[in-house]
Amino acid sequence: MKYMIGVDVGGTFTDISLLNTEKKELARLKVRSTVEDPSQAIVAGIKEILEKNQVNYHEVSYLAHGTTVATNALIERKGAKTALITTEGFKDLLEIGNQTRPSLYNYFQQKPEMLIPSGWNYEVRERLFYNGDICLPLDETGVAAIVEKLKAQDIEAIAVCTLFSYINPVHEEKIEAIISEKFPEVYRSISHKLVPEFREYPRMSTTVLNAYLGPIMKKYVKNFSNSIKAMGIQVAPYVTQSNGSIISISETIDSPIRTAVSGPSAGVIAATYVAELCGIKDIITFDMGGTSADISLIENGAMLLSTERTINGFPVKTPMIDINTVGAGGGSIAWLDAGGALKVGPQSAGAAPGPAAYNRGGQEPTVTDANVVLGRLNPDYILGGKMEIRADLAHQAIEEKISSRTNSSVVEAAAGVIAVVNSNMVRAIRVISVKRGYDPREFTLVAFGGAGALHACAVARELGINSMIIPFSPGIFCSVGLLVADIKYDYVQSKIMIAEANKIAEINWIFAQMVAEGERMLEQEGIPASEREYLRTIDARYQRQNYELQITLPEGNLDDKGLQALIEQFHQEHMKNYGYCNREQPLELINYRVNAIGRTPKPNMPKYQLRQSLPTPQPAFNRPVYFEGEQGFVDCPVYLRANLLAGQKISGPAVIEQMDTTILINPDWQAEIDQYLNIMLRDRRIANEREKDE
Amino acid sequence: MKGKKTSKADPATIEIIGNLLLSIAEEMGAALIRSAYSSNIKERKDCSTAVFDAAGRMVAQAEHIPMHLGSMLTIIAEIYQRYPAKTIKEGDMFIANDPYHGGGTHLPDITVAAPVFVGKKLMAWVANIAHHSDVGGKVPGSTSGDAISIYQEGIRIPPVKFCQDGLIIREIRDLILLNCRTPQERTGDLQAQVAANKVGIKRLLDVYKKYGTDFDFYIEELLNYTEKRLKADIKKISNGVYYFKDYMDNDGINPQKVPIAVEITVQEEHISFDFSRSSKQVTGPINVTMNGLYATVFYSLKALIDPDIPSNSGIYRVFDLIVPEGLIVNSVAPAPVGERIDTCMRVVDVIIGAMAQAIPDRVIAACNGACTTGTFSGIDPRTNEFFVYLETIGGGLGASSQSDGMNGVQVHLTNTSNLPIEALEIEYPLMVERYMLRQDSGGAGEYRGGLGIRRDIKTLAEDITFSALADRQEIPPWGLKGGMAGKSGAYYHISSGQRSKLSSKTSNQRLKQGDIISIQTPGSGGYGHPQKREKEAVCRDMIEGKISRTSAEKDYGVKLD
Repeated sequence: MKYMIGVDVGGTFTDISLLNTEKKELARLKVRSTVEDPSQAIVAGIKEILEKNQVNYHEVSYLAHGTTVATNALIERKGAKTALITTEGFKDLLEIGNQTRPSLYNYFQQKPEMLIPSGWNYEVRERLFYNGDICLPLDETGVAAIVEKLKAQDIEAIAVCTLFSYINPVHEEKIEAIISEKFPEVYRSISHKLVPEFREYPRMSTTVLNAYLGPIMKKYVKNFSNSIKAMGIQVAPYVTQSNGSIISISETIDSPIRTAVSGPSAGVIAATYVAELCGIKDIITFDMGGTSADISLIENGAMLLSTERTINGFPVKTPMIDINTVGAGGGSIAWLDAGGALKVGPQSAGAAPGPAAYNRGGQEPTVTDANVVLGRLNPDYILGGKMEIRADLAHQAIEEKISSRTNSSVVEAAAGVIAVVNSNMVRAIRVISVKRGYDPREFTLVAFGGAGALHACAVARELGINSMIIPFSPGIFCSVGLLVADIKYDYVQSKIMIAEANKIAEINWIFAQMVAEGERMLEQEGIPASEREYLRTIDARYQRQNYELQITLPEGNLDDKGLQALIEQFHQEHMKNYGYCNREQPLELINYRVNAIGRTPKPNMPKYQLRQSLPTPQPAFNRPVYFEGEQGFVDCPVYLRANLLAGQKISGPAVIEQMDTTILINPDWQAEIDQYLNIMLRDRRIANEREKDE
Repeated sequence: MKGKKTSKADPATIEIIGNLLLSIAEEMGAALIRSAYSSNIKERKDCSTAVFDAAGRMVAQAEHIPMHLGSMLTIIAEIYQRYPAKTIKEGDMFIANDPYHGGGTHLPDITVAAPVFVGKKLMAWVANIAHHSDVGGKVPGSTSGDAISIYQEGIRIPPVKFCQDGLIIREIRDLILLNCRTPQERTGDLQAQVAANKVGIKRLLDVYKKYGTDFDFYIEELLNYTEKRLKADIKKISNGVYYFKDYMDNDGINPQKVPIAVEITVQEEHISFDFSRSSKQVTGPINVTMNGLYATVFYSLKALIDPDIPSNSGIYRVFDLIVPEGLIVNSVAPAPVGERIDTCMRVVDVIIGAMAQAIPDRVIAACNGACTTGTFSGIDPRTNEFFVYLETIGGGLGASSQSDGMNGVQVHLTNTSNLPIEALEIEYPLMVERYMLRQDSGGAGEYRGGLGIRRDIKTLAEDITFSALADRQEIPPWGLKGGMAGKSGAYYHISSGQRSKLSSKTSNQRLKQGDIISIQTPGSGGYGHPQKREKEAVCRDMIEGKISRTSAEKDYGVKLD
C-alpha cells in the first residue's frame, strides 16, 4: 500500500489527511497545535493517524506540511541576530522606507520595529550608475573589516543589498565572496540572488527578512527531517510556500521568506482542486474562520499572485498568493460606537472566553451569538453534539450590549450584526476582484472554514454571484490541499527596455537563463520532463508609467510576431484594468518572470456513484430560522450532511449540519450533492434574471 | 434592506452604507494611481478621490492626502454656480483648479468631477484630485517660493466642462496642455482622472439599483452619524478657551516672521476656532484660502479626537471658524498660494499646541512642520527631453506622552511616498548621494522627537535648475512638557567643494554638472524632560547613531564610556 500525508498547521488546530492511494480512502485527524514548537503536534499527529489506520511508516510515499516557523518568528520577533551591508549613504533606507506613516490620522500607530537594531547596519564604499556601469569601485578592504567586526559580535545572519545590484551584481558578488571567506558559518542573504528586481527599498526589505529567518529555518529543517526519519518515514518532507505550491524542505533554507505567509496557501490549493474536480476554473475562495477571513481569486485554474504585499509592515517582493485578509470571523465581537453605528471586530472573543453562547465566561455578543439567535446555528449544540450551546446567553449578550441601546428587538439586532459582517466580506471580495479588474459575477464562490458556509449565500447574492461550492469537509479540508499541490520555483530578473524587435534576442536570452535554472531544480526534485512547465511572464508598462501589468509569453522562443501579440495583449490588459489603452505609446519591459512548475502525480479522491433511484433527502428535524426580507423566521428543515447521498437535491430555505460546519441555504438557492460529496449551490433568482436579460 | 424604510436608519445600515461609499472612493483611487502617467501620482500617490450627494456634500473620501479635502469641499457648489443643475447632462465632466473660483487650494491640484445620472435624474457626484507636477507659471513645477501673485503660479482653471458624452473635449484639453511644461505627462494623468471617475459612476449606479430612493435618506443619516459621533467626543473635553501662537519663518519675500494664532473655545459639544490674531495675508506664496483652512481644521479634529471617524461633510457641522477675510488663512485674490501647505502645517501646530492644555495625552509635540520640497528641471541629455522632478521629503513626527516620535515620515496634511532611488536615476539625470536620518535632529525628551532626513542629490548634466520651498528652517519645532525643540531644516548647494546655504524659498538656482543639493528636513519636538529618559534608550539611540555622544551627555546627562 502507498499512503500520502498532508499536514496543515493552524493557530488552534493541526489538521492531518491520510490518503490510501490504492483504495482511495481518506482518513482525517484534528489535533491541538503546539504553539511553542509546531513540529511536536505534527509528529504526534502523524503517529496517531498512522497507528489508528494501521499503516506502517515505510508505507508513507509522500509527506507535505505547512510550517508556521517563519510566520511565528516574525510575529514574535524571534529571528536571528542580523546585520545589513549596503551602499554608503543608505544605511537608514530600511527605517525611512518610503517615508509614509502607517496611519494618516492616528499619531499613535507606529512603524514596525526594525529587525536590525543597534547599529548593525553597515555601509561600504561602492556605487553603480543607473545602467549598471561602475561609478565607484567596491572598497574590498572596508568590506573585510566590517565582516571581521560582525564575526566578533557573533552575528548569525548577514543581508547584502546595494544599489542597482539587480542589473549588475558584481559588487554584491564580491561582498558575498569576502563573507564566505572570512565568516563561512554565517547565514547569507544576497539581494540580487533572492529578488533581482528594481526599487531598492522592497528589495532590501525582502533580503533582510530572509536573513532574519534563515538560521531559524535551517535549525527547524534539520530537526524536523531528523524526527521524520527517526519515525521510519523514508520520504523527504515537502513544505508549503506563500505562492500556493510546495517545495522540498531543504530548499527553504536558502529562501525561508517564501514560506512566511504560507498559512492560507493549503486552503486555496484545496479549493482550486475541488473546483477543478467539478469542472470549474474561475473561483473566489472564501475561508472564514473564528477570527478572520481569507479571500483569494483563481482565474482559469491559476492563483492570482502578488509581489506587492507586506508582512508585518515590511514589503516582501517574493510572489505570494494575493490573499485579502479581513479581521472578522465567527468569534468577532459586535459593538456600538459613539455615533451609534454597529461595528463588528476587529476584537475577537477567540477560543477563550469565546462567544457568549459557549458559556465559558464570554459576555460580549459575537457573530456566532447572532447566528444562534437567528436559529442559523443549532441552539442546543454544535460539533455534532460535542459542545453545548446556550441560546439564552447569546440572547442576553445581544440584548444587553446592542438591542437595549438601539430600541430594536434582539432578532433585529442579531440580523444587523450579520448584515454588517457580511458587508465587510463583500468589501474584501471586491478588493480582490473589482480592484484588480475582475467581475465577481463571473466567478464561483468556494466557501469553507468553520464559518464560511453560514455566510456564503448572503455574500454571494450581494456580489451577484450565482454559483457556489461547499467542499465535502469545509472545516478541515485544507490538509487535503497538500496532497494535490504542485512544486514551484519562481524566478525574476529586471531589465528595463523598450519593447522593440531588436530586443527580442536579449529577451529570449534572459528567459533562457531562468528556465535553465528551473530545469535544474525540477530535475533535482525528480520531476519527469513531461510534467515540467515554465510559465513566462513580463511586467510591462507604458513608457513614463511607474506601475506594471503582467503579460504572458506564448510557448517557445519569442519572435517578431510573438512580440507584436505581446504588445497587443498589454493594451488589452490595460483596457481591462483601467478602461483605456494607448496604442501609440511605446511599451517598457521591466521584470521577466519564470514560474517553473513541476506537476506532482495527483491522487484520485473518493468518488461515489450516482444511484438510479435516489430517495428524497429527509430532514433530521425542523427549527425556526431567520431569513432577511419579508419572511422573518421560517420553519426550516435541518439535514445532516453525513446522511446526504451523491445526486440528492435540496431547495432553500434549509440548513445542513455537519461535524465541522453549518451550511445555510437561503430561499431561492438550490443545493445538489455531487459525486465527491461537495455541495453545489445555485441562486435560481439571479439565474432567472440573467436568462430574462438575455 | 430595500423597501424597509423607517423613520430612522438602523445602526447596521449606516455602517454598511458607509462601508460601501468608502469602497467606491477607494476603487476610484486604485484606478487613478495605477493608470496615471507621472511618478507624482503613481509612485507618490499624490491624489485623492471622493463621492458626493446631488447637493454636492462630500459623503466619502478615500484616505490619501488630507490636504486634498480642501479642494473637495466646494467644488460641486462652484460647478453649480456656472452650470445650473438642469444644464448638466450625463457624460459631462468638469475640471477646475483655481483656489479663488474653482474650489482648489493651489493650482497644481487639478480636480475632475463627474455627475452620476440615474435615468434623467442627477443623483450624485464623484470627483478626484491629482497633483500635477507642472501647470505652467514662473518656475518648473509651478510652485515658486518668490511668487507675489497667483498669476505667476500657473494656469488658472475655473470650473469648466471637460468631457461631453464621456469624451474629453479637445479644445479645453489643448488649452490646458499648451500652458504646461510637460504636456505628454499631463495628457496621461488627465486621462487617468477621467477613467477613475468612470469607475466611480459605474459603482454608484449599482448602489442606486440596490437602494433606490432610500439612498438619499441613508446619506443624510450617514452625515448625522458622523456629527453625532464627533459631538460625543467633543463633549468629553473640558469646556474652556485655549490659545496658542507660532510663526512661519518668513513669506519668501519679506524676512519677517509671520504669526499664526488660534483661540479655541470648547463649549459642551461644540468647538470653535478663532484665527483673528493671525497675520494679514502676505506678499509671498504661503497664503491659504478658506477651503484650505477648512481642510486643515477637519484634519486636526479627526487626528486629535477620533482618527476613525468617516471623512464626510458631517464633520463641518460641529465646528465654526472665525476668520476675517484678508488674513493669511483666508486670503483674497490675487494673493499667491502655491506653498499654502506649510502654513496649513503651522495651523495644525497651533491647534495641537492649544489643545495640549486640554487633552495632553492625545497630542504630540510639533512635527517637522513643513513640506520640504525640491524641484529639479532641465534637459536630460540621454533623451534631449525637458524634465521636471519634484519631490517632498519627510521629517520627524512629534513625540507623545507614550512614545518617541517617528523618524523620517511625512506628517499631518501630506503622506506622499518617496520616489525610489533606482527609479529616479533611470528617469532623470540625477544621482542620490545619500538618503539618511539626521543625527541629533529629534528634540531631546523623555520621549525623543523624530529625526529629520538628509537627501543629497548630484546633477549629472549641465544647466539644471533647482527650486526650493520649505519652512521650519529658522523657527524650530517645539517640544512639550519639558521636551526640547527639534532641529530646523536647511538646503545647501555644494559646488566645487564650496558649501553655501540656500534660502528656504529659492527659485531657479542654476546648477553645474556635478553640483550637489543637500536637502535637510527638520526633526520634531520631544515630550517630557530629557533627564527622565531611560538610560538604556539613550544608549540605544547613541549606538544607532540617532544621537551623538555630546547630546547624550549634554541633553540627557548620560555619560558613556
